[in-house]
Amino acid sequence: MASVGIARPLVSVRGLDGNSTGSNVALPAVFRTPLRTDIVRFVHTCIRLNKRQPYAVSELAGHQTSAESWGTGRAVARIPRVRGGGTHRSGQGAFGNMCRSGRMFAPTKIWRKWHKKVNIKQRRFAMAASIAATGVPAIVMAKGHVIDNIPEVPLVVDDKVEELKKTKEAVTLLKNINAWGDIEKVINSKRFRAGKGKMRNRRRCMKLGPCIIYKNDNGIVQAFRNVPGVTLMNVRHMNVLRLAPGGHVGRFCIWTNGAFRELDEIFGTYRRASSVKIGFRLPLTKVQNPDLKRLLRSEEIASVLRPSNRRCGRRSTQRKNPLKNPRVMARLNPHHSTLKRNKILEDERNVIKKLKKSEVGKKVVKKPVKKDVLKGGKVAKGAKVAQKRVK
Amino acid sequence: LWGIIRNNSCYLLKGNGQTYSREPNNLKSKNSFRYNGLIHKKTVGIEACKDGKGVVLRTRNPHAKGKPSKTYTQVELKKGGRKTLSTIRKVIRGNRYRKDLKMAAVRRASALLQSQKPVTV
Repeated sequence: MASVGIARPLVSVRGLDGNSTGSNVALPAVFRTPLRTDIVRFVHTCIRLNKRQPYAVSELAGHQTSAESWGTGRAVARIPRVRGGGTHRSGQGAFGNMCRSGRMFAPTKIWRKWHKKVNIKQRRFAMAASIAATGVPAIVMAKGHVIDNIPEVPLVVDDKVEELKKTKEAVTLLKNINAWGDIEKVINSKRFRAGKGKMRNRRRCMKLGPCIIYKNDNGIVQAFRNVPGVTLMNVRHMNVLRLAPGGHVGRFCIWTNGAFRELDEIFGTYRRASSVKIGFRLPLTKVQNPDLKRLLRSEEIASVLRPSNRRCGRRSTQRKNPLKNPRVMARLNPHHSTLKRNKILEDERNVIKKLKKSEVGKKVVKKPVKKDVLKGGKVAKGAKVAQKRVK
Repeated sequence: LWGIIRNNSCYLLKGNGQTYSREPNNLKSKNSFRYNGLIHKKTVGIEACKDGKGVVLRTRNPHAKGKPSKTYTQVELKKGGRKTLSTIRKVIRGNRYRKDLKMAAVRRASALLQSQKPVTV
């Protein structure tokens, strides 16, 4: 949306009952970071690889036999075969992948590169961008969170939340803020996972709900952790994987007062660099005012443009071919008609000329040519001429 | 914003070579910039009333930015076809509120009202 320079509106802090306490916080500058979903997606996919545990096939698999090929002449394939019993088993270093109980092709090794290194700058950019996306209600709604009745986005709650001990209190708070709808959505989405994950201790899955970001854990984690769908994060240790789950920005976040204020410290503002992240300044937008409509209507631009032709003449519904349609041709090329006329007149003149020439001949030809003439008998003068011409 | 949401939202439905968008304030359920219900400062939404009679007209308050609970004003229109449609037209035209959506709103409302009529055999 149109970000007017670096305007920082005030966000009011909500109390435990959901009503606004008196205090306000200026929106931290992080929320004005350009929303670079491409960077977020890239960083997300890379970072998600970093929690992987290696998997590999046993080194010895398929090699624990002493097998030798029987060679030729035995009417069997030349695959190394197990000694003794002679059952088809793969051999050491043999092409075991096609054999039953053989070694697989390219056995998986633990020294595969499991992790991906991401530049710090990119990681920080992604973090800032995903926080910024959290502050745009449209994006959060498009992600699927139910935030229709929330008092404000971003949602900031009084620090007393951090001291809650009981899940019951946590639930009451969420209901007071009208965030409970999102959690109901989570509860309704509990289902069995599709696929083999079921057999691998990942039987159930559900959607994600709000992410609660706090500054000091005085009980908040224990209070909220059993609420389905809720994720908890300390401001100082925030995770892109939680802020942009699936690589898609716009998770619904609930901030505590202290955490919200910390953001300016952690990420810095446009005026000062961050005190925590060394060498980090908030990324700038490429285009300060991306609102095209406004730009095109602004004085600076409109004064330079020619007045718009709203309706550049009616579009003709039918295009007429000038080569066939003389009127259209005349409209496009007025000289064409004179050219044409001249051509016609010239043609006529030529015709007349020809006629005259052939009339002289024609006159003779019209006279019945007697057989005598054809035989070469005495001919009238004109006839002679005609004969010549006829030839 | 549209650049982010256009290909990537929980409301997006793709299939059979068709693309739709299920968000609440989309008059044509079309996934397009103009009809999107989330992006614009002013949107028009028309839904059926919960009790099955009449239509709800929802408009968005352009000044309530970032306050989802206060963003929408709802009006229930229950007085019957002609009145409902003319109210919608007047609201949109009179307030110059998304005039480009006027016909879409009227059509959606009449479709909803039609579906609420008892089925005649």
